[in-house]
Amino acid sequence: MMSRFDVAVIGAGVMGCATALFLARGGMRVVLLDRGEICREASGVNAGTLTMQMTRAALIPYALRAHEMWMAMPKWCAGGDVLATSCPGLSVAFTDAEAAMLEERARIRRAAGAPIELIDGSAAQAIEPGLADGVKLAGHCPIDGFASAYLTGRAFRAALQEAGVTLMEATPVRGINGRFVLDTEAGPVAAQRVVLAGGVWLQDMAAWLGVTLPIKVLINQLVVTERMPPVMRTVLGVASGLLSLKQYANGTVLIGGGWQGIGDRTRGGVAVRPENFLGNVRLAAHTVPALRQARVVRSWLGLEAETADALPAIGPIPGIDDAWIIGSVHSGYTSGPYMGRILAQAILGEAPELPLFPIDRLLHQGSNSA
Amino acid sequence: MIHDIAVLGGGPAGMAAATEAAHGGARVVLLEESPAPGGQVYRAAPPGFHAKPDPDRRAGDALRAALTKTGAELRTGCRVWGLGGGPLVPEGQAHAPFSLSALGADGVPFTLQARALILCCGTHERIIPFPGWTLPGVIGLAAATILLKAQGILPGRRVVVAGAGPLLYAVAAKILAGGGSVAAVVDAATQGEWLRALPALAARPDLLTQGIAWRAKLLASRVPVLAGAQVTAAEGDKVLTHVRVGDRIFAADALCVGHGLVPATEASRTYRARHAHRPEDGGWVPVLDAAQRTSVPFLYAAGDGTGVRGAAAAPAAGRLAARTALQDLGFNTANAPEEDAALARARRTGAAMARMMALRPAMIQAIPAETIICRCEGVTRAAIEDAAAAGAGTINQLKHFTRCGMGPCQGRMCGEAAGALLSSARGVSVADVGFTTGRIPLRPVPMEAILGDFDYADIPVPAPAPI
Amino acid sequence: MSLRIPQIACPAPVTITVEGQPVAAHPGESLAAALIAAGLWRFGEGEDPARPRTAFCMMGVCQQCLLRLDGRLVQACLTPVAAGQEVTCA
Repeated sequence: MMSRFDVAVIGAGVMGCATALFLARGGMRVVLLDRGEICREASGVNAGTLTMQMTRAALIPYALRAHEMWMAMPKWCAGGDVLATSCPGLSVAFTDAEAAMLEERARIRRAAGAPIELIDGSAAQAIEPGLADGVKLAGHCPIDGFASAYLTGRAFRAALQEAGVTLMEATPVRGINGRFVLDTEAGPVAAQRVVLAGGVWLQDMAAWLGVTLPIKVLINQLVVTERMPPVMRTVLGVASGLLSLKQYANGTVLIGGGWQGIGDRTRGGVAVRPENFLGNVRLAAHTVPALRQARVVRSWLGLEAETADALPAIGPIPGIDDAWIIGSVHSGYTSGPYMGRILAQAILGEAPELPLFPIDRLLHQGSNSA
Repeated sequence: MIHDIAVLGGGPAGMAAATEAAHGGARVVLLEESPAPGGQVYRAAPPGFHAKPDPDRRAGDALRAALTKTGAELRTGCRVWGLGGGPLVPEGQAHAPFSLSALGADGVPFTLQARALILCCGTHERIIPFPGWTLPGVIGLAAATILLKAQGILPGRRVVVAGAGPLLYAVAAKILAGGGSVAAVVDAATQGEWLRALPALAARPDLLTQGIAWRAKLLASRVPVLAGAQVTAAEGDKVLTHVRVGDRIFAADALCVGHGLVPATEASRTYRARHAHRPEDGGWVPVLDAAQRTSVPFLYAAGDGTGVRGAAAAPAAGRLAARTALQDLGFNTANAPEEDAALARARRTGAAMARMMALRPAMIQAIPAETIICRCEGVTRAAIEDAAAAGAGTINQLKHFTRCGMGPCQGRMCGEAAGALLSSARGVSVADVGFTTGRIPLRPVPMEAILGDFDYADIPVPAPAPI
Repeated sequence: MSLRIPQIACPAPVTITVEGQPVAAHPGESLAAALIAAGLWRFGEGEDPARPRTAFCMMGVCQQCLLRLDGRLVQACLTPVAAGQEVTCA
């Protein structure tokens, strides 16, 4: 058996990578395992939106700090870069019902710290000339932006290695014996502490420790266009949150918003639903009419985890010393690196800068053996 | 309204499959991207174009005539972009009818459903990159045959023909016959390889005779044939002017180059059928049983898209797929295997040619570091090897690390070379680096065309996430 | 010398315009073929001088031959010529 690590982090997505990186920088001997390759699931395939206007109100303080981290990523990630770009964000309402929803949501988010102001359609068009006519109301947030999510794995990988993290990719963990010996296809891996960071697979991972933690799986669809001349310069969404739109420096426009495809925990992303693909691109073309000139090149799926109350699971696992969990963060990519940083603080025995999201609330009394 | 059998792709396999399925009493639809069925080898000339009929044209016309007579529904000139149904259903749900979303020839979007789907998607050309291959004037070998045969146009006045397989000599001979000149034929295969393939070629005396005639024509025209050689660079300022082969430089205004054929598997990948990597068949192919069934119920595949065997062998595979589909759907059909010695010979010759056209690892190794591999995204060999060193171990992760294969062709042109480069850089097999996940659209689609008329209020916006 | 093979009969030529210049082409042939026959191998500059737009696969796969036809993006190799078409770079 190999020598004991101080901590084993299972799941090399943005949460697992950030946690592992900050733990290693805090002096721990860290092993980071993934059944596949680094950031190949949700962390590498999400829409890369770094917005406050889709973030849950309770997470705004975290997302604001994470936004700063993303924009400065090469500085704290050993040069690793996801081409994070800061730009204004607009959430628009085309109908009275959407305007009412927008007003309410902007108010709640503003109270939580997001500097969102409500503006009319022509003011929104002044900020985003690509925006369609007919906008009744828009939420404008100067703190917004986007990243190229597909670069996340490459960006973290070098920093993890520089920090001395042992990275074990393509190493599925089958279970955890005792405290803690990971049963992996590459043999047992022993660690003093364990961090579960498995995205939608957290439910299965928690079960290894005898903990029942129901996790819902969202199958988010994404669509991308061919490179095209500039048609927009902000991050755009609609009040319902079901559109996210941005144009990258290379000219491609990424269309997201959480339209649902087919998939599940067992099979992963199975298929993009053509009818939802069409609904999503119609919403996009309605919002930025110049997109009608684009060719759509590709769609794909990302699996997002959600707890019963749609708030994160970040903290110690009750009843099992030295076992921790991180995940199910709504708009998790936006807040991801900051969540990893505060969990690492807690594991290192420091006071986390902002409170964690302990999972006690999600566990039924008596139903867990822990 | 639901079809019993949809056939995707109207080459020789697809035409024969649709014909057989219609004869069996099924309600059939054939979907084809070109204006007329035929495929690449049996491609129909545009209306009003007439050439002296050759054996390929006659074979194609016979398949087209048989298909037309059945009254099967033909949707030509249509672009299928969306695939759904079949196994693509939520967990626990039963297998659904296959659903195909397309743009019609008239530009009107439509969706149709079928209980069974036969994929006859053919192949596209493999190109092993070399410096200058992206220069205008450099064109595929199969592309050149389309220009020469279907459009009646020479690729250039003085042409270098390069690559691997029998198409080399076919293209060179057709250029000469059309009044052009051939500066050189650059054959990756050695004379020894051709000699070893002779017994298999002899199974098709018609092809062997044709091949000998092509060679004789080159000899008579004093065309240099460089065996066991490859193009080292295509050169020119705005367009091609010279082709370099080692120390030799040929002035040329066109270079026709191809290194074999790659089965088109995007549809079978999207339907999550099982695939295997078989270099001698052209690369990744769907795994089939003896009756053309894929691993997905009611999904069948036939023709070169399942392993390169040539146009002559494709119709029988298409017919077999159709009979199997009819049987699986409960149609009363006699499923007697075709006793066809000619077919066996066609397959034997096809397999020998496929081996000749298989990916050549030595050519991959010879690619200079700064050569563009992914043309859509401008990714070089050096960038691929950097990514391999930085930890990319699969073709999907290579995409993330470099954008290789993320452009409009979605890795169809670069996938083979990128996979081979990645596998050698990582010291693993090509099978281990895998293939890119299949996702819609099958081909890039203009957004304007698929949007259709809609009202904002009619967009079925799902319930928003909690605040 | 013309690149058109004399043994192949085809409909009488029509005129299309390519970047404002008149080009003779035969109705039914692909735009890509018509441009090659006219000696116009370079279909556009694209985003990188090392990878300009041109015909390569002629069968709708490689996506390199993208052009604008009467304002719409089309693949030149899959688009038949018709009289009066206006072709510009993509």
